[in-house]
Amino acid sequence: MSVIALPQELSIVGTAPMSYWRTVAWRLSRDRATLVAGTLLLLIALSAVLAPWIAPHDPSAGAIRLRLAAVGTPTHVLGTDEQGRDMLSRLLWGGRMTLVAGLTPVVVAFLVGTVLGVIAGYTGGLVNTLVMRTMDIFYAFPAVLLAIAISGALGPGLPNTLISLSIVFIPRVVRVAESATVQVKGLEYVAAAKASGASVWQILRHHLLANVLGPVLVFASTQVSLSIILAAGLSFLGLGVTPPAAEWGLMLNTLRQSIYVNAVVPALPGLAIFVTSMAFNLVSDGLRDAMEIRT
Amino acid sequence: MWRYVGRRLVLAIPTLLGASIIVFSMVHLAPGDPISAILPVDASKEQIDDIKKAYGFDKPLPVQYLKWLGRVVQGDLGKSIATRRAVILDVRDSLANSLVLAVSSSLLAFGGGIALGLLAAFRQGRALDKVASAMAVIGVSVPHYWAGIILIIVFSVQLNWLPAMGASSDGGLIEYLRHMTLPTIALALIPLGVIARVARSAALDILNQEFVLALRAKGLAHRRVFSHVVKNAAPQIITVLGLQFGFQLGGSVLVEAVFSWPGTGYLLNLAIFQRDMPVLQGVILVLATFFVLLNLLVDVLQTYIDPRIARH
Amino acid sequence: MTRFIGFLVAAVLSLALAGGAWAEGTLRIGMTAADIPYTGGQTDNGFEGFRFVGYQIYEPLINWDLSRSDKLPSLVPGLAESWEVSKSDPKKWIFKLRRNVKFHDGSAFNADAVLFTFDSIKNKQAAQFDQYGSAQISWRLSALKAMKKLDDYTIELETPTVTSFVPYQIVYMVIVSPAQWNKVKDWRKFAEQPSGTGPFKVARFVPRERLELDANKGYWDPKRTPKVDKVVLLPMPEPTTRLAALRSGQVDWIEVPPPDSIAQLKGGGFQIVTNKYPHNWGHILRLDKEPWNNKAVRKAANYAIDRVGICKSLLNDTCVPGTGVVYKGHPWFGNPKETYDYDPAKAKEILKAAGFDGASKRPARAVALISTSGSGQMLPLAMNELIQKNLKDVGIDVDLHPIEWNSLTQRFRIGFTGENAGVNALNISFNFLEPFSGFGRFFHSKSVPPTSVNIMPFVSPESDKLLDEAEKTFDLAKQDAILAKLHELVVDEAPWIFVAHDLNPRAMTAKVKGFVPPQSWFVDLTQVSVAK
Repeated sequence: MSVIALPQELSIVGTAPMSYWRTVAWRLSRDRATLVAGTLLLLIALSAVLAPWIAPHDPSAGAIRLRLAAVGTPTHVLGTDEQGRDMLSRLLWGGRMTLVAGLTPVVVAFLVGTVLGVIAGYTGGLVNTLVMRTMDIFYAFPAVLLAIAISGALGPGLPNTLISLSIVFIPRVVRVAESATVQVKGLEYVAAAKASGASVWQILRHHLLANVLGPVLVFASTQVSLSIILAAGLSFLGLGVTPPAAEWGLMLNTLRQSIYVNAVVPALPGLAIFVTSMAFNLVSDGLRDAMEIRT
Repeated sequence: MWRYVGRRLVLAIPTLLGASIIVFSMVHLAPGDPISAILPVDASKEQIDDIKKAYGFDKPLPVQYLKWLGRVVQGDLGKSIATRRAVILDVRDSLANSLVLAVSSSLLAFGGGIALGLLAAFRQGRALDKVASAMAVIGVSVPHYWAGIILIIVFSVQLNWLPAMGASSDGGLIEYLRHMTLPTIALALIPLGVIARVARSAALDILNQEFVLALRAKGLAHRRVFSHVVKNAAPQIITVLGLQFGFQLGGSVLVEAVFSWPGTGYLLNLAIFQRDMPVLQGVILVLATFFVLLNLLVDVLQTYIDPRIARH
Repeated sequence: MTRFIGFLVAAVLSLALAGGAWAEGTLRIGMTAADIPYTGGQTDNGFEGFRFVGYQIYEPLINWDLSRSDKLPSLVPGLAESWEVSKSDPKKWIFKLRRNVKFHDGSAFNADAVLFTFDSIKNKQAAQFDQYGSAQISWRLSALKAMKKLDDYTIELETPTVTSFVPYQIVYMVIVSPAQWNKVKDWRKFAEQPSGTGPFKVARFVPRERLELDANKGYWDPKRTPKVDKVVLLPMPEPTTRLAALRSGQVDWIEVPPPDSIAQLKGGGFQIVTNKYPHNWGHILRLDKEPWNNKAVRKAANYAIDRVGICKSLLNDTCVPGTGVVYKGHPWFGNPKETYDYDPAKAKEILKAAGFDGASKRPARAVALISTSGSGQMLPLAMNELIQKNLKDVGIDVDLHPIEWNSLTQRFRIGFTGENAGVNALNISFNFLEPFSGFGRFFHSKSVPPTSVNIMPFVSPESDKLLDEAEKTFDLAKQDAILAKLHELVVDEAPWIFVAHDLNPRAMTAKVKGFVPPQSWFVDLTQVSVAK
């Protein structure tokens, strides 16, 4: 949609991309907000990975007589859900589901999209038209709508959610990658490299990938928060992960009935989505500032 | 410039065609059979087959697609299986409600977002910037369906100030506005955040340009700087405004689900639940068309403001 | 305190802003249906359709008496003053129709209207054949083979076999106005301006949003002329939405409030109305394959369920434990040998005696198809997770496959074949209003698919014999006794996992007066009034 301005240093350090990344790292280390958010993200990811060991209770074990206990109950620090299951444990385990459902599509889109976009951008001509027009067709749908429509068609379940969200994000990544590739291809030193006999592979590796990966990476990182929100949203509508799995969006859905009994506990999964999403956004902001990418 | 518009319009047609194929296949490949959604459990096979024939579901898929497409270009989106009303009527009514929500939340998001973004840019680095930026990040990160639930808990359940659902087609304007308040706020949050961030970033780009810094150092009037920033940041901001309006129109499903607001999202949800294929196809196609045209408009506007941006 | 002040402010504001939109005596109801039930006569949306549309705008020849809470509704004269089996031919019934009844459009009700309606359901060649309405109802009318007009107010009905079940079926067929239909000659248009003989008539119809009914002040029964002036029906499939609407004063009455909110509602001055009614929630089991082909496993499963826990803790007393097809106290309950109390120890014993030690030797894994929501399904996810846990505790493993409600009803219809080949239990709720829906469709050998829904299949010569006998018994008390014997047989055979009977909870504001909750799926709105 809009022009991507590449980092200023590119014209100077075109032949030595490594110091660029070192500069990025240096900038990141100075950015306090991003460091804090990054640490938070690490904590969230760690707690999700370590959930089986640090969760105080079995996330699927519930005592019906203890349902909807308030936050601060001695044995259940964050309360219990509508089946009497411990909220803290379910939040920890739910983090795994939500993170998987949120990150995987973006990672898939990053890989597939970059490859497709670079090919389309570098090759140009018919291949480019074919790829980009196909992407346009998917771009015709707002993200949420596409995700819901595909999930509605495929049915609920984690694998279907991953497929559906990947399909949503690939076209976007392709666009960014293609646009960046086209611009870099047009730069003088690339033409020089071509003229001097460098092979396609060498050109791709040294110039394109390094300079295209930057913007694409930043863009992908901005989509993670959206992906998490969409994945949880699909579960919220009953189109994503199925019960009795613990997943933040699904928990939000099943707890919604209980907001009149205990307003705090149902808010917790949403809070978790919110915090995670915000951490990703801050980190991607920091990445963008450090790489000086403006999209 | 008109050649550009013309070219884009022509290009939009295969896009829409491709979109229609996707819409049609998605809906028909879904598991679950629409007829059983509306017939009682014990209806006989013969009756089910009869109704299937009446809707043309017994023909092969490509034939069904072409027949559907043929009717669509004449403006006939078929009949809903659940209500047997013309789909176009359902779509029209719900689109009206969604548009109302999209427009009002857009006004809120655009106004709030631009104000917040510009404020942050002009006070870069200072406390106000930090606060405004924080608010923007919060806006972008909050799951709007959760925000909707929180709004209901606070304003409807606890304080009982505002109604929690529906659109009240009978109480007059004030009732309608009351019903509209909470969903508007919930839907506006993410776009507000996005727009604020883009506005801030675009404004900063311009403000940090050397000649602007120089002008400001020389004491150029605030108003002149301001209008310069606005004029030059406009293309980027308009792009985002267009995108976000599309997001609010098409992406309002979740907010409409929480508030039972009778818009296209609510209709879509219901149609998925009822496996009402004609409605699903009709709604998604209409929304996609809207979105495509909207993107076109935004691109054209952008090109008009800054002809250098014309894309391949 | 804040809440009280807030409530006052909201009340004042809403009065000020309401602009006098509602006349006094308007009853606004939040239904669980996702859309307005079909108003063209033979309605959809199952029994909720009958409840709020079918039986309010229209009437059948025979009505349910919904005026009492303390006993099951009996069949009373509706548009027919009397009916009897012909003395010369037991396959013919004579109905004497009520005189001086007018449809909402002013035309007169007579035998022609009955025949017209019959053809609209049964006669594909008729100009007025309603394909949609017919699909909704004709399967319930298998005993109505043909109708003949003897004179303007007498109808003769012919049945394919001798059956005493005729009145139970007649009650489902509501009569539409031929005069009104002939004005529009199209069912969709008729649905927008319907005309029946019922106590309410359609005033305004906004598809998917609301149905407004006006009282029919010219109704033929002065005792049932509505006290309320207007009824507004709003589809609200989301439980929290219904709850929010009730609490904020947008509606006066909601169906099925979320069970968790009941305590709060009571505390907030709302009325919670419940009653037993012919509803059954349980699991239908596949009887020809493991693990449920073993009667011991079925019995053990029934002893393993903590029904009291489900009804008390999970559903806040909006259901009662179910240990059979019908509930205790129903004339068909009888005296079954198995009581199915919550006895995990007994369950484990039964399993041990059958060779399952609960450790390495366990019954084959059960796979249960359940729904995520649905009318009459109560809280399927929560309830089934509890049941899964209960069964696991005694050594029976169950996998739950939740699917969407409409998919479930469709997959139920095909039985345990095709898509359902890997499934051996189905969780779906039923009514047992009359002998066919309670027993006939499940426990007779001729009811296997595609004829009806005996999908298990339950094949028992004894059961067939009892059902055939019941159908030939015209004395209601004797019929009840036969069905009670059948019930005892079924309970002891345990072809289902019996769980609970819903209590049809409704919540209303304190201003709603006069409502008597019958032991039925339907309600009589004519005695209700909304105080100022």
